[in-house]
Amino acid sequence: MKTDHELIKEFQEGRETAFNELVKRHLPNTYGFFIKFTADEVEAEDLAQDVFIKMYKALKKFRFESEFKTYLFRANVNMSNTYLRRTKWRNLLHLDQAPEPGYVDTGLEDEWRRKELWDAVSKLPSRQRMVVTMRIAQEMPYKEISKIMEISENSAKVNYHHAVKTLKDLFKN
Amino acid sequence: MKIEKQFQDISQSQFSAPDGDSFLEKLHNERQRRIGKKVGLLNGLSAGIIVAVFGLITTSQLTDDPTIFASNDLTPLEIMDNETEEFVYELAEYLVENSDDIWETLTFLDEIEFETVVTMNNGGLE
Repeated sequence: MKTDHELIKEFQEGRETAFNELVKRHLPNTYGFFIKFTADEVEAEDLAQDVFIKMYKALKKFRFESEFKTYLFRANVNMSNTYLRRTKWRNLLHLDQAPEPGYVDTGLEDEWRRKELWDAVSKLPSRQRMVVTMRIAQEMPYKEISKIMEISENSAKVNYHHAVKTLKDLFKN
Repeated sequence: MKIEKQFQDISQSQFSAPDGDSFLEKLHNERQRRIGKKVGLLNGLSAGIIVAVFGLITTSQLTDDPTIFASNDLTPLEIMDNETEEFVYELAEYLVENSDDIWETLTFLDEIEFETVVTMNNGGLE
């Protein structure tokens, strides 16, 4: 099986199918990241599509300085930040229509809670938001997070704990 | 809300990834659509620039201020070609000479602001 770098090299040389192979290889992870993030199949697919369209352009200039997986994950996190900003007002509207406390549809209630949580995450400072997103959406170990964000492992841990504390405070209020 | 539990719930949620082939088909279609949109936008912008530049050059090439061109044939109101001028003068003279009521003719020429003929030779009285 060819490595990601080999496929990128082939794509840079003009072999389109190499890009397709790369997409197929990383689609489950990328889609999984966004489905956990949005809880909406259509939106998750759209976000994954946007990321790969950006990759199509970016990979032509890829310099092989980092792993493709790391590069793609950074793009996913950036896309999720854009998505959070874009849907901030929409989330607010949705929260206004949140179900009553005694509502019986637990599935819907869970969805609202998830929306509430992501809305709170969107209010975190950038670094904390990125660490939390990676921890929640992909259960990523601190070591890998630190590699992607180019920070120390301890800094990743501290950011995560600060984020959790801030989120708890937000929900208390 | 227990934040840690929420995190855990989200992390453990199950999903099935979309079919790779249909995803790729949609991806490339969307990519083509975006390229087409971009090209269309650039073409529109270029056409707009060309029209604007052409219009600017054309306007700047005019010897007279475009606002003085009020007639349909784009001839300045104040300027008549020799042939027309001659014809108008002859017509005015004819009207003056052959009218039954010279004052009525002069009033008419006055109305059309043909001042030259009105004042010419004291209105033809000399």
